[in-house]
Parts: sequence; structure tokens; C-alpha cells
Amino acid sequence: MSETLDFTRQEMMAIATGREIRDGELAIFGVGLSMLAGYFAHANHAPNLRTMTEGGVYGATPVGGLPWGIECNRISSNATSFSSALDALGFLVASGRCDVGVIGAAQVDKFGNVNTTGIWDGEIGPSFRPPKTRLPGAGGANDIACGAKRFIIMVTHEPKRFAEKVTYVSSPGYLEGGDARKRYGFVGGGPSAIITTLGILRPEPGSNEFILDGWFPFSSIDEIKANTGWDLKVSPTAAVIPEPTAAELATLRKVDETGALRKQ
Amino acid sequence: MSPTRSPSKLISLAEAARRYSWDGMQYASGAALPVGSDAIVFGRELLRQGRHDLHAIFHCNSQQLNLLAAAGAVTKAECGFSALEVFGFANGLRRAVESGQLALEDYSNLAMPLRLLGGALNWPFVPATVNIGSDIQDRSAFSPDDYPAKAKIPAVTDPFTGRQIGAFSVLQPDVAAIHVTLADVTGNSILLGTEWSRVELSRAAKKVVIIADAIVDQGCIRQYPNLVRIPDIIVEAVVYWPFAAWPQSSPGLYDVDEEHMKFMNKALAAEQGTADYIRDFVTPYDGVDGYLDMIGRDKVAKLSDTSTGFLLDPYRRWILTPAQVAEATP
Repeated sequence: MSETLDFTRQEMMAIATGREIRDGELAIFGVGLSMLAGYFAHANHAPNLRTMTEGGVYGATPVGGLPWGIECNRISSNATSFSSALDALGFLVASGRCDVGVIGAAQVDKFGNVNTTGIWDGEIGPSFRPPKTRLPGAGGANDIACGAKRFIIMVTHEPKRFAEKVTYVSSPGYLEGGDARKRYGFVGGGPSAIITTLGILRPEPGSNEFILDGWFPFSSIDEIKANTGWDLKVSPTAAVIPEPTAAELATLRKVDETGALRKQ
Repeated sequence: MSPTRSPSKLISLAEAARRYSWDGMQYASGAALPVGSDAIVFGRELLRQGRHDLHAIFHCNSQQLNLLAAAGAVTKAECGFSALEVFGFANGLRRAVESGQLALEDYSNLAMPLRLLGGALNWPFVPATVNIGSDIQDRSAFSPDDYPAKAKIPAVTDPFTGRQIGAFSVLQPDVAAIHVTLADVTGNSILLGTEWSRVELSRAAKKVVIIADAIVDQGCIRQYPNLVRIPDIIVEAVVYWPFAAWPQSSPGLYDVDEEHMKFMNKALAAEQGTADYIRDFVTPYDGVDGYLDMIGRDKVAKLSDTSTGFLLDPYRRWILTPAQVAEATP
């Protein structure tokens, strides 16, 4: 960690994610940490960001810390519109209007495919069987992955989460890579970045394989490669990513009132 | 001439469950996300009446489905999201899925309202560009040997552009128990907070039972007809039950009960914990007063002191007292 600023890896991940979001965009955030990253961007550098949750809560700022859900009281006391899933994920995302989405992942692979459905012991096989560990399912992440112009995946960097190939594709990234997305009628463009607790991966033009684009000041290429379940290529322009500024950190902590990102 | 008033549809919770639920039915609820408005108390009543073999249509899992699944009352479920958001995995549902006792068919949070919309419009299927290319399309828990699944979200060609899209089956559940903030005695309902998919569900279900936290005089409905998102003409029955979504939240009225959300989910992780939970929080109360006593009057007051309370201000003057509701119940 920095000598001057004390911040957690999760805070660095949230700030790096927030930096990807530009002023004026129409943005949708999934539940949990992705919401903190999004509302951080709104408070920090994107005052004209048009924010929504898939719950159909628009124009709100969380009050009292990380909302328990995309519809709970913490996100319902200053909204400008209460709408619906069909409106948020349909009229505004599946339509192609949404610029950027932020989603989480239990497991992600080298083409940015996301698994949030289950953990199986080995391959599922030809017959679908219950997972050893059932996870939350796709939620709105599949709809964001199919419809948003681009989306960002936020995930803790651990070998078990970074697989050569996810066991179950809950939300499509670039599928088998290259232009595989073109086989389907997707409206959205696919994942633009995987932002982790160690650094940032971006798709290599052409192959759409995710390669290392940068590492956080407290991390390194070696540490990231050791925590990635495929042979991770490194971009020739990969560089260290600037640590949070004091202002960024102060703004993030105002959004993250209950310190969800400071819990280790 | 003054408006003609329809007769009151208020009935007791127990009577509503007796009339509108049966074993093996397709039962829909959970239409306002995992920690928000949901007719959880109706699920408790289904267990009190011993309902089982339910086919649950829940846009999102909620503590209601978590409880029904933990108790073994559900054999099939269709969901877009099956956890409890920041409260974590839904332990009861998870246990039922992992043991193979419950087949959970996965969709996404847009696919479910689209399927309800298709049911509402009586469309043969709904074309969409989500869920395609993923294992949501290729894997079916209802037909596990059909791989890649051909009957779940078959790929069809858009006749106009030639691109490959998904064809979704539509949903028309037998009964939907829908939680709302305010309803009049005939079922005109105002929903504070996100609607999520309650509007589509109310039109897709064959029968709708409204579970309202508060009952308002019809003057309120006639003042704000634009805000009535579920009209009485599609409602079978209205149940008055304060804190019906507890331990989840009802914007304008009460916050999430964080302590009980965690306690309940922990209990549902095991068979014994589930039995204890049913003993302590499903079977003991008698009527609304007993239910609120069970939650705890101090807790009720604390949860009611919500930062969303101002949302209710325009409607307060029309809210009926429990005595007035009793008087309006046939």
C-alpha cells in the first residue's frame, strides 16, 4: 500500500472501475460493489452521468451506505423515477441506448465470459446436473452483457475465479473469442475491461482475448499472472495504474458510508 | 351522480390462501426483487396450510421463495436471479437446488418480465436478443438431457433481418400474490418504490390476490388514477396485512430488517434450522396483531422510522384504521 494513503485493494478496484465511466453517459449498475463504483464516478468526475439500477430506480444517490439491494430503502429516498425491470433492462438497455454497465463475477474466462450460476466439480457433462455450489444466477448481468454498448466486469483476482473457460456462461463476453459474438443478434458490444483487485485486463484487438493492460501500485505482473488461470499475455503498453488521489478516496468513502470496500 | 362503488373484495389471509392456492399449482410472487416488496406473508400462510409441490414463478428469489424451498414445498422454480442481493446466497433455495429436490430453471432479469409480458398479451412467444449464446439458452434444468436445449429458448431467425434471436415461452401463472403499498377495498393498487415486474405479472396471471400494507379510501384512488398501476378489474381478492413484506422493505412504510434477514437466511441453511424457523415465525401468530407482536412492537416502530417515509405523505389522509378495514370486510 502507499506510504501516504491507506486504501484497500477493493477501494482501488472501485476507483479504477469508476474512472472507466465518462460524464454524460447512460449507465447501469448491478447490485453490490459495482454500484459503489458507479455512484463514485457520478460524485467524482461525472456529474452529468445518467444513473440507473436494473430495479428501475433512476437519479438516486445511496443514503446510509451500500444498498442491500437495487430497490431497498437506501436507494429509494431520493430517486427521480421509480420504474420497472422492463423499462431499465428492456427499454433502456436491450434497446441499445445504454452506454456502459458494471457487473460482478464469480468466475470469468479469457474471453470475458462470466459465470455467476454455479460451481461444479469438473465439467457439467452432456446432462445438466445440479451444481455442487449454487450461485445467484444471471440477474440483470446477462441483459447488460447482451445489450449495453460496453460493460465492465469487476472481480476479485484469484486463480479459482480466472479460468481458461468458465464452466457455465451466465453472461456472454466474447464467447469463443474473435468475432464469435457476431453469430448472435446481440445489441451490445461486449466487455471493455476486467477490473480486479490487482489490475486491469482489456481485450486484445482481433482475438478479443483479455490481456494485462496495467497493474496497481501494490501489485505486479508476476503476482497477476500467478493469480490468473490462463497463460495471461501482457500488453506491450502495460503500465502501473496511478493510485487513488486523496480526493478520489474521500469521494469514494462518502459513497461507501458503511465501509463495504474497507472490509478485508 | 356520485360514482358507483363495487363491493369490497377484502378477505382474510387464511381465506385467500384457502381459495386461491392448491398443491401442484403454478404460483407467482416475488415480483419486486429479493429485498423489496414481496407478499412474503402469503408464503408463510401457504406453509401453514401445508401446500406442496409448487411450481414457483419468481422473477427474483425473495425470502418467500427461500422459505418455501427450504421447507420442501417447491419442486420447480423459474427465476431471473436466485440470491438475496447483498444479503448473500439464499440458503434455503440453494440447499433445495444442490440436493436435486428442486429443479431451478434459470433466466435473466429481463427475460422474466418479457415472458410475463408475452403471457399478458397472450402472444405465442416473445422474441428477444438476451440470454442467447449463453448456457441459460443451452442448459435446461427441466429437461436436463436436452443439450444444447432446444425447447427452452429455441433460436429463431428474425424474418426481417435474418439474424439469430431467442424465442421465449410465455408465462401465465395460475395465481399471483402481489404485494402493494396501498390498495382500496376493491383492489385498485398504488405501488411505492420500483414496480419491478408487478405490472406485467398482474396482467399475466390467471388470478391476482393483492396483499396490501395499508388500505385507503377510494377517494385516494380517484385523486391519483394515473398512479394506479394495478386496477381492480383484474383483482380477485384483497388482503390487508401490515408488514406483509417483512423482513424485506416496503418503500414509504418500513425498512429492511437487516437482523432478521440474516437470522432467517442462516436458519434456512439447514433442515433443523428451517423447522425451528417455521415453529417460531410461521405457525405461532394469530391475525395481524399477533403477527406484529411476533415481529416485536419496538422493531415495528424502528423499521417504520424510515427515510423513505415522505413518499407516503400524499396518501396518508386516506389510510383506513384497522377498525375501518374490519368494518369494510364483508
